[in-house]
Amino acid sequence: MKTVKRIIILVVIFSISIPLFLNSSVFIAPITGKLAPDMESDDVKKMQQRLKNWNYYDGEISGKYDFKTYFAVRDFQNTYKLPVSGIANEDTLAAMGLTTLAKWGEVYAQSNQSSNEQLLASAINGEARGEPYEGQVAVGAVILNRTRDPKFPKTVAGVIYQPGAFTAVSDGQINVPIDPNSTVVKAARDALNGWDPTNGCLYYWNPATATSKWIWSRQIVKKIGKHYFGK
Amino acid sequence: MSIREKLLDLKRRLSDRKMYSIVIVAIAAVAMWGFYQYKHAADLRQELDNQYNRAFYDMVGYVNNVEVLLIKSLIANSPEKAAATMQEAWRQANLAQTNLGQLPVSPNVLANTSKFLTQVGDLAYSLNNQNMGGQGLNEEQYKLIEQLHGFSVSLEQSLNDLQTQLSAGRIKWGELAKKGTRLFQKTSENMPNTQFENIDKTFQEYPTLIYDGPFSDHMTQTEPTGLAGEDMDVEQAKQRVMEFFGQDKVMAVEEIGRVDEGHIKTYSYSVKFNNVPEDQTATVDVTQKGGNVLWMLYNRPVGAQEQINVDQAKSLGKRFLEEHGYRDMVDTYYLKEDNTAIINYAYKQGDVIVYPDLIKVKIALDNGEITGFESKGYITNHRERSIPQPKITMEQARALITPRMNVLSSGFAIIPTDYKTEIFTYEFKGKLNDRDFLVYINAENGKEENILLIMDTPNGILTM
Repeated sequence: MKTVKRIIILVVIFSISIPLFLNSSVFIAPITGKLAPDMESDDVKKMQQRLKNWNYYDGEISGKYDFKTYFAVRDFQNTYKLPVSGIANEDTLAAMGLTTLAKWGEVYAQSNQSSNEQLLASAINGEARGEPYEGQVAVGAVILNRTRDPKFPKTVAGVIYQPGAFTAVSDGQINVPIDPNSTVVKAARDALNGWDPTNGCLYYWNPATATSKWIWSRQIVKKIGKHYFGK
Repeated sequence: MSIREKLLDLKRRLSDRKMYSIVIVAIAAVAMWGFYQYKHAADLRQELDNQYNRAFYDMVGYVNNVEVLLIKSLIANSPEKAAATMQEAWRQANLAQTNLGQLPVSPNVLANTSKFLTQVGDLAYSLNNQNMGGQGLNEEQYKLIEQLHGFSVSLEQSLNDLQTQLSAGRIKWGELAKKGTRLFQKTSENMPNTQFENIDKTFQEYPTLIYDGPFSDHMTQTEPTGLAGEDMDVEQAKQRVMEFFGQDKVMAVEEIGRVDEGHIKTYSYSVKFNNVPEDQTATVDVTQKGGNVLWMLYNRPVGAQEQINVDQAKSLGKRFLEEHGYRDMVDTYYLKEDNTAIINYAYKQGDVIVYPDLIKVKIALDNGEITGFESKGYITNHRERSIPQPKITMEQARALITPRMNVLSSGFAIIPTDYKTEIFTYEFKGKLNDRDFLVYINAENGKEENILLIMDTPNGILTM
């Protein structure tokens, strides 16, 4: 009977845990580095801005880690029961909700632009990661051209998540993590900054895999990599 | 052991009491798991259906409101009342369009309906502006609104039909791929396919380098004024590509296509360079007329070492522009990413900055090389303008700005409007609550034309 019990337990554990495994977990990259007196950087600026917002700091947002900043950091650490050192180490920065920004994959949402940038990069990654660079920029440009066309939703998220608009969204390819060496983030930025290799196209399709007959009624403007671009 | 024996053995073992319970428990566990999965999937499907229903019912409501507002605007007597109605119609049409985009129906089926809603919104927006300026509707506009109202009534009717079928449970969103597409197709076909007005005011605003993006979307629809010179053939234009990069740097230029549609016709080339890996190429589009570079992208890894700063990059870019025949360009705003600077240059005619004539130059900060170029704005808009004498003085214009703003500098600027036109303005840069602003005052009638917020981000200066 012992083996039976064991098997029952195993089976039950197994069946319960399957749904758990299926849930993909969200990985947040840890913070690296620290900020210390005499440093001068954009990250210091960001920290000063936060400290100022929360009334720990009343100096200039200079980007310089000076005495005032030092004491502001001490005050902050004191309030949050962190070791009071005046040096913004990882724990302190984390308590401020700051990471050393700038790097892809880490948590940052400075402005609308960077959230658009991330979403656009993910879409390009799902749709065209194997394409040449200008082909990736072109896919980003098509998405942005759609936001400006009356026939499509007006926001980047609206266009990308419009049901049935992109296969990479329907089959979840858009959630594939971005390879750190990939150029898709750069391509997304170039597209957002106004580079449009397609000259205003609204559609693209891969002639080898396109299943919609309708798409062939579009006028082909350009061919980049494996994709046709059309209006 | 033969197979027969093995089977017999298995049968014997299975008939064992212990074995019975094991098998039964295993089957029960699998059944439980399957049921759990089924229920989970059904829950998700229901949740999704609820979302679709929400979007659909919302949209129907908004379309009904648009219809009512359009007819109301026809009987509004004062411009003020009409303005209020128009503003609301603009808002409701936008909400309808947003919800339409969330329905699980193929985008090409919905295209016409979406376009109709956007155009109603755009028209309402521009009429709202006109009414706020104290001007009533003219006869032509009455007719247009009447026509749009007719379309909105028929849209409303077919949507109401769909709604009845949906709430009766005769259509399910899951089946819409087949059945509903036809229904929506019919709805969409009834919508006008013509362009009424093209003032896309309402798409999402995201921070941009000044006077780029939101204003640049209609560029491709107008005849470019900045294209001069003879039509070139593929070989002549190839020469221009060589000159653009410098003959000594280029190893080979290969033609990879051409665009003969639209107002700006181009040749495309792929460029290989000396002393760099084979696959590291630049792509460039050159206009057939005049042989100007429309855009260029050179994707290469940029070293982390910053050898030149943004100010040096600005003058490098300016020199590059001068060497290639773009005179009197001044840098306006910039963005720094991945150790690369993207600098905007605008044309300066006399003491007036002409923002529509825009060229963007991308410079790698590890060695100052030009890695990107974009001149759609310049090519589309550039010309010598006859700039009128301002009708109000700088002091008068300045007095029109809120006294709360601390003005730091001022000058003349020509800025683009949503209506594909340009306005001659005074540009004032100033501070309010520690934030930097740009305020534009029309130099002819003193109207406050635009206010931009400057976002001094760590990566550069953006406007919103």
